[in-house]
Amino acid sequence: MLVTTIITQFKAFARDRQAIFWTLAFPLIFVTAFGLFDIGGDDLSVHTVAVVDYAGNDLSRGIIDDLDALESFEVALRSDPAMARQEIRDGDLRYLMTIPADIVQRVEEGRAAAVSFVFDETRSDAFAVLGQLQRFLDQQNLDLVDAPRPIIFAPEGVRTEDSDDWDYFNFLLPGLLAMGVMNFSIIGLATVLATYRERRVFKRILATPMPVSVFFTSMISSNLVLTLAQSAILLAAGVFLFDGSVRGSLAQFFLIILLGNLIFLSIGFITGAFAKSAQAAAGMGNAVTLPMMFLSGTFFPTDTLPSVLGAIVEFLPLWPVLALLRGIALDARNFWEFPFELGLLAAWIVAAAFIASRVFRFRS
Amino acid sequence: MPQDDIVVRGLTKRFGTLTAVDDISFAVRRGEVFGILGPNGAGKTTTLECIEGLQDPTAGEISVLDLDPQRESRRVKERIGIQLQASTYFDNLKVRELLNLFGSLYPKRLPIDGLLEQFDLTEKANAFLRDLSGGQQQRFTIAATLINDPEVIFLDEPTAGLDPHARHGVWEFIEEMRREGRTVVLTTHYMEEAEALCDRVAIMNEGRIAALDTPQGLVDALDAPHEVRARVEPTPEPVAGDELHALPAVVGVRMTDDGGLALRSSDAAKSVPAFFRWAEKSEVAVTRIEMRPATLEDVFLAVTGRALAEEA
Repeated sequence: MLVTTIITQFKAFARDRQAIFWTLAFPLIFVTAFGLFDIGGDDLSVHTVAVVDYAGNDLSRGIIDDLDALESFEVALRSDPAMARQEIRDGDLRYLMTIPADIVQRVEEGRAAAVSFVFDETRSDAFAVLGQLQRFLDQQNLDLVDAPRPIIFAPEGVRTEDSDDWDYFNFLLPGLLAMGVMNFSIIGLATVLATYRERRVFKRILATPMPVSVFFTSMISSNLVLTLAQSAILLAAGVFLFDGSVRGSLAQFFLIILLGNLIFLSIGFITGAFAKSAQAAAGMGNAVTLPMMFLSGTFFPTDTLPSVLGAIVEFLPLWPVLALLRGIALDARNFWEFPFELGLLAAWIVAAAFIASRVFRFRS
Repeated sequence: MPQDDIVVRGLTKRFGTLTAVDDISFAVRRGEVFGILGPNGAGKTTTLECIEGLQDPTAGEISVLDLDPQRESRRVKERIGIQLQASTYFDNLKVRELLNLFGSLYPKRLPIDGLLEQFDLTEKANAFLRDLSGGQQQRFTIAATLINDPEVIFLDEPTAGLDPHARHGVWEFIEEMRREGRTVVLTTHYMEEAEALCDRVAIMNEGRIAALDTPQGLVDALDAPHEVRARVEPTPEPVAGDELHALPAVVGVRMTDDGGLALRSSDAAKSVPAFFRWAEKSEVAVTRIEMRPATLEDVFLAVTGRALAEEA
């Protein structure tokens, strides 16, 4: 009885093009858009350096090739230094290296040849990058004189826990996944329930010996499976197409999605209980999800909100879900390291289920 | 004495201050087709849903197949069939899938191919319900009602909105159910449907049962089992109504919609000759006259004071 009911629910879903669009295509468009536009700026670890090469000989070309070969630099050749300077003022370029025409002559004569750098001094990371460029030139000097290197530089990067240096796409990905699940469960479920009520499908169910609990179990289990599939597809798109990643445990990540979905399902039932028609349900669902989506930090960290508002949004149901997902995905931590967020999550699961069971009436 | 499949005693259902069903009692015998006839809002559907266990009565006792439809709801629902409109079935599922799904909800079920065949839906087995014609959808809902081989079948307005051809098709299915020994309870506001199908008819009005008998018994019990319809020229003055009412055996006079006269008579053999004498004396020409037996329509008019068709 239950299995047949669940299978037919999947079948019905698979044939509902609109539902598939909103569940899969719509969030996928988000992932793709953010992945392609890479909002949040350039990749912070690669710097483009424009080079004007007045010398144009083997030495200067060697320097340019060596610079380009470095992981953190990319060379863009320019012929007109004035125009390159203008590019810096326009913000299109940050670093300009100029190799003088007499570089070989000076090196051979033992006089210093000045390789000049023009840079955008409004950028906070400019001096760090200049430091790297300086080290690069030091290396070149050492290579020229073929000096021995008794001590070598061996750096290792470690992330601070409250690092500002985050990758925006990886920050966004859990938000988009949670958004997809939330919209599916709140708007989708509320619309389905309102449609069932309008068309008296509930009466059709009541007319059979199937217990109401079995019917709801089938609805909820098919929803849980479909939302997990949705999240998995979105995550796969983020990881394989746009280089996103989940640093922590995937099992924990999906567990939090599942738990968060329990809240959204209850909210879907509550919305469906009050909506008089399918259209009203969609409107009400959006009224619930849209503000929550923006306030709870789907697209930007809630730290940037004014402190009072920031404290309030922590009590929206989406907030602990996102905080836990990001703790796992970005910082590779375990969910039990977040007792405050877990407490909020548990409280929401219980409270939302309680309200849903009170307001949702199967009989009209 | 055949067994009663349904017994209703003192059933009352209130919604707030509105009393939808007001203290009604009746019984439905095994194997009969029982009609509940009445205008919209008479309480037919509420009565049906209380018997089916879909609504809880405010007061009264109901037994279906010797079970309590409220407390033993599941066992009752396994043995009854409730017809609901096609729109109450899930979207995006095909005819065969829907029958499979609903069949899976019952311990006992009829073979789906046989049902499709019986209801001439074999070719539509893999079509979506929404792509079926109105008549096909109606046949589907009846087929789905039979999926669990029910002993008692409830049909709520089974032919509402159907064209005459499709309506007669449904009547045949109901006759078939009777032949198979199933008990059928149906609501309708079509008189001829009740007359054609029902062994017994309960006339409901404003939450009460106004009359209950076989269709013939209801008609026979009328004080005026005949109606005389006549067309006269010129059309008589309204004052003539009193003279007509005074004719022998005439118990009611009214103008019909097309401008004719309709006399309800307890004995047409006395009323008709008297009517011709009145016409001669009043110098009006009788251009047409017809006599017909009273119908449930007249019974309804007599017991409720209202014409059924106006309400429907």
